[in-house]
Amino acid sequence: MSQTYNPTAFMNNADTHSGVTNAKLGVWLFLASEIMLFATLFTSYIVLRMASSSWPWGWDVLNVPLATLNTVILITSSVTIVMAYAKAYDKDKAGFQKWMAATILLSLGFLVVKAFEYGAEFKLGIGPHTSVFYAIYFTMTGLHGIHILGGIAVNAGLLYMSSVTEHWENPLFLGRVEGAGLYWHFVDIVWIFLFPALYLL
Amino acid sequence: MSKNNDSRHDEHRPDVGLYVKVFLALMVLTLITVAISKIHLPRPQAIALGLFVALIKASLVGALFMHLWGENKLIHKALFITVGFGAVLILPIIDFVMVSRRITSPADVAAQHPGGHGGHAEAVSESVKLDAPAVPAKGH
Amino acid sequence: MAHDNHGHHELSFTERYVFSVDHKVIGLQYLITSFLFLLVGFALMGLMRWQLAFPGSPIPFFGHLFPADLAPNGVMSGEFYNSLGAMHGTIMVFLGVVPLAVGAYGNYVLPLQIGAPDMAFPRMNMMSYWTYLPGGLLMLSSFLMPGGAAQSGWTSYPPLSIINPGQTVWLLSMVILITSSLLGAINFLVTTINMRAPGMSLWRMPVFCWAQFVTSVLLLLAFPPLEAASVLQLMDRVFHTSFYLPKDLVILGKAYAGSGGGQPLLWQHLFWFLAHPEVYVLVLPPMGIVAEIIANNTRKPLHGYKTMVFSMIAIGVMSFMVWAHHMFISGMSASLSNFFLVTTMIISVPSVALMTCLVFSLKGGSIRFNVPMLFALAFIPLFAIGGLTGLPLGLTVTDIYLHDTYYVIGHFHFVVVSGSIIALMGGTYYWFPKWYGRKMNDKLGLIHFWGSVITMCGIFGPMLFMGLGGASRRLYDPTAQLHNLPVQGWNVVATYSAYLLALFQIPFIYNFFNSMWRGEKTPENPWQATTLEWACPSPPPHGNFEKTPTVYRGPYEYSVPGRKTDFWMQTDKN
Repeated sequence: MSQTYNPTAFMNNADTHSGVTNAKLGVWLFLASEIMLFATLFTSYIVLRMASSSWPWGWDVLNVPLATLNTVILITSSVTIVMAYAKAYDKDKAGFQKWMAATILLSLGFLVVKAFEYGAEFKLGIGPHTSVFYAIYFTMTGLHGIHILGGIAVNAGLLYMSSVTEHWENPLFLGRVEGAGLYWHFVDIVWIFLFPALYLL
Repeated sequence: MSKNNDSRHDEHRPDVGLYVKVFLALMVLTLITVAISKIHLPRPQAIALGLFVALIKASLVGALFMHLWGENKLIHKALFITVGFGAVLILPIIDFVMVSRRITSPADVAAQHPGGHGGHAEAVSESVKLDAPAVPAKGH
Repeated sequence: MAHDNHGHHELSFTERYVFSVDHKVIGLQYLITSFLFLLVGFALMGLMRWQLAFPGSPIPFFGHLFPADLAPNGVMSGEFYNSLGAMHGTIMVFLGVVPLAVGAYGNYVLPLQIGAPDMAFPRMNMMSYWTYLPGGLLMLSSFLMPGGAAQSGWTSYPPLSIINPGQTVWLLSMVILITSSLLGAINFLVTTINMRAPGMSLWRMPVFCWAQFVTSVLLLLAFPPLEAASVLQLMDRVFHTSFYLPKDLVILGKAYAGSGGGQPLLWQHLFWFLAHPEVYVLVLPPMGIVAEIIANNTRKPLHGYKTMVFSMIAIGVMSFMVWAHHMFISGMSASLSNFFLVTTMIISVPSVALMTCLVFSLKGGSIRFNVPMLFALAFIPLFAIGGLTGLPLGLTVTDIYLHDTYYVIGHFHFVVVSGSIIALMGGTYYWFPKWYGRKMNDKLGLIHFWGSVITMCGIFGPMLFMGLGGASRRLYDPTAQLHNLPVQGWNVVATYSAYLLALFQIPFIYNFFNSMWRGEKTPENPWQATTLEWACPSPPPHGNFEKTPTVYRGPYEYSVPGRKTDFWMQTDKN
């Protein structure tokens, strides 16, 4: 123990038993737990729906055009973040910042659209208490929205970090961008299932 | 035990052209999902089709954006284990399939288990009686 | 905590002991905190036991300290009894045993045993502790909030739980605690997979590491469903949704205002989906500790190392498919009950295999009867009682009779208290020299050991008898039901045993803190053990090993023929 012990030294160690960096493995395990979380919510959805005497068609009671717009926005943001990763891979700082900013703007756009959707429903006096359908709708989209917020925080943090040159010399940085990307794609996948489950079926 | 770190990220060199293609495919599939809902199919078909398209979209994102295609085996294993345990959640659903059948009526249940498995039908209709109180939860 | 390492790197006091990123400090933080929570949970139980033994009589000494609405004239009220019951269970499981088994021992010992300099994500490790502590304090503080603490048991079955105001705080702190567990589980898995020292292949890992590994998988995959279920119940409480509330619910003569249409049974499924794997989270790490102690003190290799590991993996897999045996009398579908009956019988096979391996490990060994070994030896029969009394509960036929009786309580307390907690205490005696470079006092240890073991049997044995006699559980006043009266005497026995158990913890607490500073100094490897944690100084410095150790052999090379010493450390080439 002669030099100062630096705990982060072990985080960028690609020389691991498994050949996967700690950060990447950690993100994937986190996503595994997220899969279980949303799997449970979908299970509850199926159970409640099957056990209830009637269940509305989503397109009868929810705003499908807005949701379709949101789907397009979210899928686009998934592409922009993977482009940002590609730029980060090539150490193209300006390109990275451009695509990452686009991702953040798109995700903010998603939340704005969502807010309009919620607002219209609240104006009609509809809330989670109205029926089990609305309860599961608000809970699942709300939880998804919280995940979006978390993603925005992470992405904004990376955008800020990218303005500091020394982060570009740190091998950790690309791993972080990749991790944020994985999380963001996961949020996208959840929406890919939520959209038909709630709005279309 | 360890070593072989030269491979680094090289196996997932980002492929921008591919990303654009996937993006277009996802957009088309989104339109397809919405279009399917417009023709107002009967529910079972609508659900089957909707889920099928969603699965394709999710696999595209997972395989190509999240680089699961060609990813380290360890991560595949972790995901398989997760999906395996997640699949166990089918059991509560099965339970509720049976519950909802019980809700319909004993006659319906008898109709769904004609003759043959007499013993089974009996067991099910018996649990109908057990379930008569609206709140199955117990507690003092 | 404790031990000063003056001088090196300029870490402030806060960085070193409060917001430390060192897995050893975090482990000890977890250790002290979870032992404290165990004490709190124990105290709650002490109050309940008074009410159970002497219903309606004022609680001595403490009765008048409680506000009048909780304990009018010093006599415990029904609501207070209910919240004590709920909080006892919750605190013991989620704030006591799991953080002790995983957070404390896992954190301290796992990186050392695999030869890692620290956990994979040290800062996340710190965050895990600092979400656990506020979550726990929030849980405790619910006693002081308007509406009181949660009252519907640690299982929180709706609709009862949803109409109870204390439930909101319970759910919030559960969500926080689950987050903390998830952070810990990810960290443990990545550490075990990636950070092993050169030569430390998976099949050279000590059984304890395997136990932590399987446990972390359970935590990672079983906790999120409860998190989701808690969020749904929280929605029911806060936003008046009806996920778990059926139609036309009538509470105290008034129709419930919500929309209805939910399923109370759904909560039970989701809750036990977590809570059964949770049982194995409570049991596997202690089993790992017992395996370490037994191998070390019999001076011979474990009998069936691979059998034990495969059994643990089998338990881990099967534990996800047995949960509904807690629900046989809930109104669940009868054919599904049969499925769960079969899986429950199957999971008992690897459990018995594990125990058998432990017993066979004793055969032909030259056993050293030191204090940790006594705890490990006591674990085997006591845990076996707990396990075997569980079989009648896994069979639907007998479960229908036993389910709502004290038998169930006796069964799982034998498993968790005289099984897990005994093993965890043994672990404290075993690893104390590692933590502080000193040894705990043997005499006090013996008093603690015999006192605890005997009184534990005195508490939980009577519960089994009472349950077989038909005494209902969850009753505020057991004498209110005629059929409980013939076995009421056992309640008195259990209560006095519980108070004696409390007394016998005093030598342990004194011993712990006294030995921290004044204990007999020990060499680096006082037990002549083979595993890696004994290959670095005690206590290990930040970064653990002076240089990365290389591992040459399996974990339990004791009494190898032809060697001078009877142990062959994993790091010794020859």
